[in-house]
Amino acid sequence: MVGWRNWAGIRYYLYLIPTFALLVVFGYYPPISAIYHSFFRWDGILASQFIGFGNYVRMLHSGTMAIAAANILKLIIWGLLAGILPALGVAELLLSIRSQRAQYWYRILLVAPIVVPGVVGLLLWEFLMDPNYGFFNTILAAVHLPTFLFFASPQQALYSFMFMGFPWISAVNVLILLAGLMNISRDLFDACALDGATWFQRFVRVDFPLIIGQVKLLIILGLIGGLQGFTAQLIITQGGPAFSTEVPGLMMYQSAFTYQQMGYASAIGLVMFVVILILTIINMKYVRTSVEYQP
Amino acid sequence: MDAQVRANVGVAAVSKRKPVRRRWPDWKSHVAMWILLALVFLPLGEMVIISLKSPYQYQAQPFGVSWPIAWATVVSNFQGGWQAISPYIANSLLYSGASLIGVLLLASFTAFVFARFRFAGKEVLYYAVIALLMVPGVLTLVPQYALVHHLGLLNTRWALILPYWAGGQVFGIFLLRSFLGGIAEEYFEAARIDGAGDWRLYWNIALPLCRPIMATLAILNVIGTWNDLVWPMVALAGKPGLENLTVGLTMFQQEFFTNYGPLMAGYIIASLPLLLLFLVASRQFIEGLGSGSLKI
Repeated sequence: MVGWRNWAGIRYYLYLIPTFALLVVFGYYPPISAIYHSFFRWDGILASQFIGFGNYVRMLHSGTMAIAAANILKLIIWGLLAGILPALGVAELLLSIRSQRAQYWYRILLVAPIVVPGVVGLLLWEFLMDPNYGFFNTILAAVHLPTFLFFASPQQALYSFMFMGFPWISAVNVLILLAGLMNISRDLFDACALDGATWFQRFVRVDFPLIIGQVKLLIILGLIGGLQGFTAQLIITQGGPAFSTEVPGLMMYQSAFTYQQMGYASAIGLVMFVVILILTIINMKYVRTSVEYQP
Repeated sequence: MDAQVRANVGVAAVSKRKPVRRRWPDWKSHVAMWILLALVFLPLGEMVIISLKSPYQYQAQPFGVSWPIAWATVVSNFQGGWQAISPYIANSLLYSGASLIGVLLLASFTAFVFARFRFAGKEVLYYAVIALLMVPGVLTLVPQYALVHHLGLLNTRWALILPYWAGGQVFGIFLLRSFLGGIAEEYFEAARIDGAGDWRLYWNIALPLCRPIMATLAILNVIGTWNDLVWPMVALAGKPGLENLTVGLTMFQQEFFTNYGPLMAGYIIASLPLLLLFLVASRQFIEGLGSGSLKI
């Protein structure tokens, strides 16, 4: 009887073994290893030598890291603006459409490009922004306007990354914001219409305060994703020309996989994690939470 | 004053008067949406247009449609694209498929255990799983590479599949536990009375009930693994032939550097697997992507 009771309790832990076996190896070990090895000179394979805060000191004095930090700051600020404002506009447009059927189809069309692999999107934009034969310069030249060097110019490369993806409508963000807008009671919109409120007044006093929760979420997701992002730079510029598009994530990648400085790379990753954590906490704590509407 | 009176007399009075003047007519929203959609689809439109061109047609007129479309050219472009890209698609189907099956099974069973049984330390263990949602990719990329190297898995298919299982199940457990926790106990109680064991409760009751939310999880998982670039790039760098689609596309782009017809055709072919999935499950795509709010 006692044996049976033990089994009854123990089997639940046995059920969890596959999940936790994977998590111990690929979930918990890597971040701990990153913290530990950030204090070492480490080639990732054999040699590791304790150097205290050496990697962190090196990061502080690195001119490249200063450039990368300034670049990522610009890219994040732009990313938040371009990720949220156009999406908010489109969500309001969709909300204003009476026909549910039409609205549904617009949502389908907006989401459809997600079937194209992200890398193809990057390569297509690089192709369209080619300084010699690209789509944009062909058009600009045809109407006798100055053309751009885009990714070939140290002055323009970072801004070229910002231009990519024009008109910057993030379908996912539209869906999240639209879900928030559709949760707002119709009665409130009717009341606004009856009171003769303009669209702008309604947006400022009703729509926006009631979807601040969604906006906050998009800010957090944008910060987390934006700070870590380096795929576009890896594919298109490798941080060049002249470090003008270097970002911390790419520095980490290059330190680890081009120069085999895995300890330094771990330290960069750890600092990025701490920054992400601090930004998330600030955002959770200090950005005003959603206003609850009570009928 | 007028507004006050109207609000007071209420709905009955409103219905008698003329409908409130709408400042923003519907057709303007439609026109705006079509303009925006045209801009969104512009790069993809160019991809299709150029995939139909021979090199001469491209030189003569790169970005407009070259009439008449020579179907022999189109066929040869798509054949060239298919030959270059199909091995990578096969690899990616294997990686994403294996990841998907493993994640769905692991996440649903573990979520079921967390949601429907009581045992000591359950909440602590659950939060130990969920805490991993806070660990960003930048923190794990480098040590995971060293780990996989030490395990002797570098340049094998397991180098992708095992981390995908481990990472994918975390969000899945989070998503499915709250869903399974909300199901009425009567379903499980009835099955228990009929003599069902834990496995039957999972397989015959829990799994069918959470099919809709599993579809959401499946879509998010497939999109994630299908688009993964950096990890496959470093984990499979030493062995040609194992590359997934994204890594293959970057190599393919260099290979066909100035031959844009097959290049664009290859891009289109690379988009077809998810397009097929989207055509059969567009509703799940929209629900899945919109549920990003669940991630925090």
